[in-house]
Amino acid sequence: MSIINITLIVYMMASVAYIVREIWMSAGTKWVSFGLLVLSFCLNLTLVITRSVEAGHPPFSNLYESLVFYACCTVFVYLIFEFVYNFRIVGALASVLTMLILFYATLQDDTIRPIMPALKSNWMLIHVITYMLGYAAFGIAFVTSIIFLVTKPFGKKPQAISAEVKGTSPITFDKLSYKIVAFGFPFLTLGMVTGAVWAKKAWGDYWSWDPKETWSLITWLAYLVYLHTPLVLPKMNVNKSKMSVILACWLLFCFGIVNFTFVGLNYLPSASDSAHVYGSK
Amino acid sequence: MKNVKKNQPVTASETMGNQGERTQTTQPERKDSNVVWDFFCSVKLAVVIILVMVVACIIGTVIVQEKTLDEYMARYGYGFATFLRYTQLTNVFYSYWFSFLLVLLCANLICCTIKRWRNTFLQTGFILTHLSLILILLGGVIKFQTGVKGGVNVYEGKTVNYFLTQQLDRNGKLDYIKKDLPFSIALDDFILEKNEPKFQLVSFVKSSDRQKALEIKVGKKQRVPGSDYKVFIKDYIPDAELKQEPVNSSDSPNNPAVYVKMYSSDDVLAEGWLLANEQNFYDDKKLNLRIEYLWKSSQQALDKAATSVGNETPMVSVAISDWMQEYPLELNKTIKIEGSGYAVKFVQYAFNYGDKRPLEEQPPENPAVLVEINGPEGVESRWVFEKFPDWDKMHPARYKEVKITCSGFTSTRLAKNTVRVLQSPDGKRTLVHISDGKIVETVPWELKKKHAIAGTNRQVEVFDYYPSFDFKREVIRKSDEVKQPAVLVELDGPQGKMEDWLFANSQYATWYKDKNFALVYEATGDSIKHFTSKLRIVENGQTVAEKTIRVNDPLKHRGYAIYQSSYDPEAGQFSGLQIVKDPGIPVVYSGFGALCFGVIFIFYIKPFLRKKQKKGVEE
Repeated sequence: MSIINITLIVYMMASVAYIVREIWMSAGTKWVSFGLLVLSFCLNLTLVITRSVEAGHPPFSNLYESLVFYACCTVFVYLIFEFVYNFRIVGALASVLTMLILFYATLQDDTIRPIMPALKSNWMLIHVITYMLGYAAFGIAFVTSIIFLVTKPFGKKPQAISAEVKGTSPITFDKLSYKIVAFGFPFLTLGMVTGAVWAKKAWGDYWSWDPKETWSLITWLAYLVYLHTPLVLPKMNVNKSKMSVILACWLLFCFGIVNFTFVGLNYLPSASDSAHVYGSK
Repeated sequence: MKNVKKNQPVTASETMGNQGERTQTTQPERKDSNVVWDFFCSVKLAVVIILVMVVACIIGTVIVQEKTLDEYMARYGYGFATFLRYTQLTNVFYSYWFSFLLVLLCANLICCTIKRWRNTFLQTGFILTHLSLILILLGGVIKFQTGVKGGVNVYEGKTVNYFLTQQLDRNGKLDYIKKDLPFSIALDDFILEKNEPKFQLVSFVKSSDRQKALEIKVGKKQRVPGSDYKVFIKDYIPDAELKQEPVNSSDSPNNPAVYVKMYSSDDVLAEGWLLANEQNFYDDKKLNLRIEYLWKSSQQALDKAATSVGNETPMVSVAISDWMQEYPLELNKTIKIEGSGYAVKFVQYAFNYGDKRPLEEQPPENPAVLVEINGPEGVESRWVFEKFPDWDKMHPARYKEVKITCSGFTSTRLAKNTVRVLQSPDGKRTLVHISDGKIVETVPWELKKKHAIAGTNRQVEVFDYYPSFDFKREVIRKSDEVKQPAVLVELDGPQGKMEDWLFANSQYATWYKDKNFALVYEATGDSIKHFTSKLRIVENGQTVAEKTIRVNDPLKHRGYAIYQSSYDPEAGQFSGLQIVKDPGIPVVYSGFGALCFGVIFIFYIKPFLRKKQKKGVEE
């Protein structure tokens, strides 16, 4: 069995362990689920590294490599947050999300092909890594928004953090989403800016309204709206509870945009003009 | 606007992240605030502008931008194309309304920044991010107003002092404008470096449309992911050559073949195998001579073929639902098909449909028969093609239920001189020479014996006979260098195992029996690794700058940047240069820097400082 399949299975096991932990809430299960996810992260990282060594270039030159790397970043960002905030149920969905990304990767052409000259740049390295960390954070924010929307009708204020954690006050899922977006947004901005600098070096123009560039701007603007609406809605007599729902829904929509920017651009009629779209060639 | 906490400074992170600890300054209420100022200051306006921009951006990618009017006409039709052009939706990002949006955003940013300006350290991020956007927009305006971007192709050893820019004119037509450079660019050397070839084995499953690279390791059995196919790599040769040798695999006539030589006095003019079941004739076009090899199942059939001039008559088969009957091609004879109400008549035929030459001169490339079908709804005339039996399925026909095909033309065609080599399983061997449609000579033939063809200066010899002709394929190792590698693979699937050599230089895929699974062994390194141009900038006959440019590493001179952008795809003769002048770059880049630092400050540094402050207060 290939490593990628083993990784998928461990992700699934981690996801089950997180659900079990949510039901029993014992300290033992906590370490099992966390351990499984760390294990799958290591496996995923192995995939990234072996691929990089095998191909002889940074492991994100085509869609397959990017997706594997994206999956890796998503768990990495999740683990940071779990370490800091000690989540509960978020881990189950986060590992499912990562598993889906990795599964989607297995459907792609994994042929190693030589990279084109424009991709040989250190700016590209920073550009992709920052972007992937940003996207990873938005993936987690997507998960927390789902949890927020699903749990909202049941409890008064479902808490994301177990009370057992010393010193931290409980935090609700909508605020948690905001914190995660706040973590990811600088990465997104850095990714976009480094991308522009790289484009200037490679193609002579930092911005040429290429579909990929335009959609990355759309993504950035969408999250910018998310960051600014809390200032607007209270002035429009929208109450707090309604506002949280609107923002959570907006985050779901934003993550859709992220995915479209990442893998969906091939469906655009203007895709053939783009220099960035993952080609079939 | 609702007057709720109108003048209270609030930033995003304060509202959501750190509620209840708003220890910042509160401004005294501004009584003189007017409506216009409030409008331009509001975050609501910002959000609305951003949302409109999002919609504009989406439109700008859904509608292909900056194409010629003809292309829009072809894509959307006249009405919608005109609408798009009128609303500037064909050029969203440089349209008047998008520019207006950007100006509005800029005004909003400026007002917002002024209104919320506090001289506190914690405000650094807010000010930097908002100012940076103004800088970037300003840089964009400078680029748009004073920048130029174009390209030029330079041949090795040549010098250029201009470049071309592309532009759509008022009528939506593409236009090239020549721009002069204040210096000359000389291309001293252009190097195109290709990647070392790498080889890989790629599998393809048709039903799931999945491609997957397989590991090439001799002795390795692997399952193709997501399918039931298995691939076993049995051997590998780094530099292989395929040798095919005709062999006789048995003494029973499974695939009879003769090796025929044609001589002119003592020189062999042509020689080769004629296979009774496949390629069974050879045509000498110049001499109008054909040599054919016919295998007849019995002596009677052989005798018949040896005494009739035409081979068998071409046959026309008529089918109506389940019923079918074959008729010999006889022109202008009406055939009534009993019980069906149809009658058919063969009116005309051709060896090469559409060929204006007389029948005898037509090569049998596209034989066809014109059939008249008389039925309940009158007469239908239909051409029927031997090589395209499904033609009528794809074309309108009145009597769709009547299916007509024809056969036997290709082997019927007679040359001026035809030499027929006949053979039957009982050992009878006859050679017939037909000239101008008449049998001139009938003689038995023997192996390795020349027969003169009367009326020509040619002789024919049957040199060898294989009852079961077959190819023995042998793969030989030419060297140990990786040149033309080949792998021996065994494919296993629902229809059992098969084994084959795969050559990296073959253009064809190797298909598994069920035609759903294929393997391709291919070279992948045939792409461009690097391309560099050694450039020299010349001013007043003197070289003022020199650099070897490559992708990601341009040459800059007097505000112009010269980029390596492309190469001559065919011969690698010229170098494609992109020439850009953008005085707005310093402004935009300072904006970029400010933006990056600003967001990092807001989302990382500021919360950290806050926490520290809070702790300090608590202690």
